[in-house]
Amino acid sequence: MFIQFLINGLITGSIYALVSLGFALVYNTTRIFHIAYAILYMIAPYFLMTFLIKLQISPILSILIAISLTIIVSLATELFVYAPLVKKKSSPNVLMISSIGVMIIAINLVALCYGNETKIINPSLSDSYKIGNIIITYNQIIQFITSSVFIGLFMVFLKFSKFGIMTRAMRDDTELCKVFSMNVPGFRLVLFAISGLFAAIGGILTAWDFGMDPYVGMPMLLNAIVALIIGGIGKFQAPVIGGLVLGVLQALSVLVFSANWKDAIAFSVLVLFLLFRPQGFIGEKRRLV
Amino acid sequence: MNYVFHILIMINIYIILSVSTNLLVGMANLLSLGQAAFYGIGAYVTAYALIGLGLPLLPTLLLAMGVTAIFSFLLAYISLKLEGDYFILATLGFQIIIFTILYNWIDVTRGPYGIPGIPSPKLFGLVKIEGITGYIILSTILSAITIFVFYKIINSPFGRALKGMRDDEIAMISLGKNITVLKVEAFVLSSAFVAIAGFIYASYISYIDPTSFNLDEAIFILTAILIGGTGNIKGPVIGAVFVVLLPEILRFVGMPDNLAANMRMIIYGLTLIILMRYRPQGIAGEYKFSK
Amino acid sequence: MNNTILHINSVSKSFSHSIKKLNGDVSKEEYCVLDKIDLQVQKGKITAIIGSNGAGKTTLFNIVSGLLNTDKGELFYTPNGKKYNLRKISPYKLARIGIGRMFQDNHIFPKLTVMENMLIADTDPYGENAFTSFFYHRKKRKIEKERKLRAEQIFEMLFGKANPFCEKQEDYAETLSYGQQRLLGLARLFMGNYKLVLLDEPTAGVNPVLVKKIAEIIRKMVDKRQMTILLIEHNMPFVESLADLCVFINTGKIETAGSVVEVLDNPHVRENYLGKRTTKRNSTDAQA
Repeated sequence: MFIQFLINGLITGSIYALVSLGFALVYNTTRIFHIAYAILYMIAPYFLMTFLIKLQISPILSILIAISLTIIVSLATELFVYAPLVKKKSSPNVLMISSIGVMIIAINLVALCYGNETKIINPSLSDSYKIGNIIITYNQIIQFITSSVFIGLFMVFLKFSKFGIMTRAMRDDTELCKVFSMNVPGFRLVLFAISGLFAAIGGILTAWDFGMDPYVGMPMLLNAIVALIIGGIGKFQAPVIGGLVLGVLQALSVLVFSANWKDAIAFSVLVLFLLFRPQGFIGEKRRLV
Repeated sequence: MNYVFHILIMINIYIILSVSTNLLVGMANLLSLGQAAFYGIGAYVTAYALIGLGLPLLPTLLLAMGVTAIFSFLLAYISLKLEGDYFILATLGFQIIIFTILYNWIDVTRGPYGIPGIPSPKLFGLVKIEGITGYIILSTILSAITIFVFYKIINSPFGRALKGMRDDEIAMISLGKNITVLKVEAFVLSSAFVAIAGFIYASYISYIDPTSFNLDEAIFILTAILIGGTGNIKGPVIGAVFVVLLPEILRFVGMPDNLAANMRMIIYGLTLIILMRYRPQGIAGEYKFSK
Repeated sequence: MNNTILHINSVSKSFSHSIKKLNGDVSKEEYCVLDKIDLQVQKGKITAIIGSNGAGKTTLFNIVSGLLNTDKGELFYTPNGKKYNLRKISPYKLARIGIGRMFQDNHIFPKLTVMENMLIADTDPYGENAFTSFFYHRKKRKIEKERKLRAEQIFEMLFGKANPFCEKQEDYAETLSYGQQRLLGLARLFMGNYKLVLLDEPTAGVNPVLVKKIAEIIRKMVDKRQMTILLIEHNMPFVESLADLCVFINTGKIETAGSVVEVLDNPHVRENYLGKRTTKRNSTDAQA
């Protein structure tokens, strides 16, 4: 039993890690508390459903279209909401409140178009494999492999490409990036595109297994944030570690208590971290003065 | 007529919520996503006091405020060491934890089934607050008291100190002000008054369940005061009136109910975005979130 | 000993940060910002701290005012017989025991009115808690009235009868010019009962007329309120005209200390900080 839950936790954790990485990519570099990120995760499977089921387009093509549309939504948020505010030098709170506004609008638009109830994309039950007395479903394998591949690719990319160096430079000092005539607004678009990509993949992977409703984004965002904090803000490996730890922790809390309590446990862990180790597992301490 | 009275009672409830939340958001620059949790604690304590203990009105109200104040003190103690985003996160965490407890601890809170049949409270054991007229009087008196109290606070040296802290914490420290204590006081005071709204809601509707006090509600309260504006009394009051009246206006212009629920939220969202861009102080507020 | 108000005993401070090279190696680097600083600040005197940017002057101020911790060393504050260990006192309490500070950037409250900026500067926080905002109206009103009177007297004493501050007292402080904000920041220090005041570059970015005014105000702090002044300054004529003692800090160490003339004429200081003197000294000239 224990190992079964551990493996389930690791698989869920890998999706947390991917989604959290997308959030961290925006948060670490722009310091925007990007609450609207939740809707990217939610909206991607709805796009997929539209093309796959309503318009009967082939699965691969539908997935590609859904991901592209999600990325466009992400870019639109940056272009039409954040960028003008940043230009006006608005405070972080103003950005966050606008982000909440975007989230409210998107959730209710989706609810208007598709209804409030849970929608299923893939009605067939997934095949499963049995190793000893551990059961792993086909979907779980897909989830784990896909998120690992994307995380891995991103890490390599971050380390060795020019993009990676620019990202890390943005994280450390945006003003300095401007001084070195880096195209900061343009680069931000790249960041929002990648973060949209991660949210879309995470959303589709989860929805393929469990279906979705217009409100799935917020709980996932909360998990992503908790993963980011317990990993440590400022480093890009942190959300990955945090996501895996959180996934395992939640799976074990399901084993010990019940599934209903897992949000409360995630946030209790968050509060404990904020209190005793605000820099997370591997983050750096912030200086006050 | 009852319909108009019902709207007025809801407006009173939201005036209490937004005027007291304003002390945090507009005066102390503490953006809290946990206000609905305090609203809920106030409502649940009211339910227990009226059903279980059979207390009269004033003791129930004071008990609801007191218990909420204790919870908010605990949260303040934990979260006020944290800065900016971390503070918001801690309040968010608190909101989720309280909601999960209300929803899942079925032995105590009856979870998703909610608590039905909350009786009307009696004033001094004599006058029973009954019917919609009783509640319109009660809620108007309580919201008037809330407005008066917060008007006094904002214009007192305490209010000035909060504004100073909002502008510049380092300068406040250098002038010998204990900003942690200031923040805790603002936090506890604000939550205790939010509990009044919970009290009215629980006894008026006579049925409560956790979904009235979830994160969406917390965001909704925040929306109300951000639309109206923060930093003074006028702004939050206008915001409360706006968010309560808008769905009624939509219904009035003939929008079908199933559409109206989503439409009003979309309008709130749009209003928030447009206000933040062009008028961060809201319709009638003072504070522009300039820091 | 009796004449010293602030004892800084071999205070050291270093910041460390890790540097990650592109090949993945991590090296830890330590910057020693302050290296065994010893300084006895004389009561009733104006002590100027000079030194180039990054020498550690502001760090020293941050340590004295409790915003930074020290790594090593002791800080004692002895205003009148009593001895306070500054390392054990939380920052906000310092103002209450008489240590005031003005920051390099103004740090006035832009969204409070000019008068409120003065009222809030009273280090006695009476009325500034939630409880008293409900009760004690009479006492509160009396104290507020007394604070306001005190503020008006301060404005009058510093800026004469018809001064812009009394006229503009109901305006937001952000409407004042930069120089006026700076004067307000100094005037604010008269509201408290300060014994030792730390001024971080009071003349930075203000015009020569105001420099003179600021010098006047600082003199009044010493003469009328018996404050001890610790001053960071780059404007040498200003230092020469005002300060009694001078300390030269270079790369985290006190290299020279003594009377102003002694320090400013010290060849080592000339070489490392001031540069060669080209004109004869003219103490009222504001241009450095």
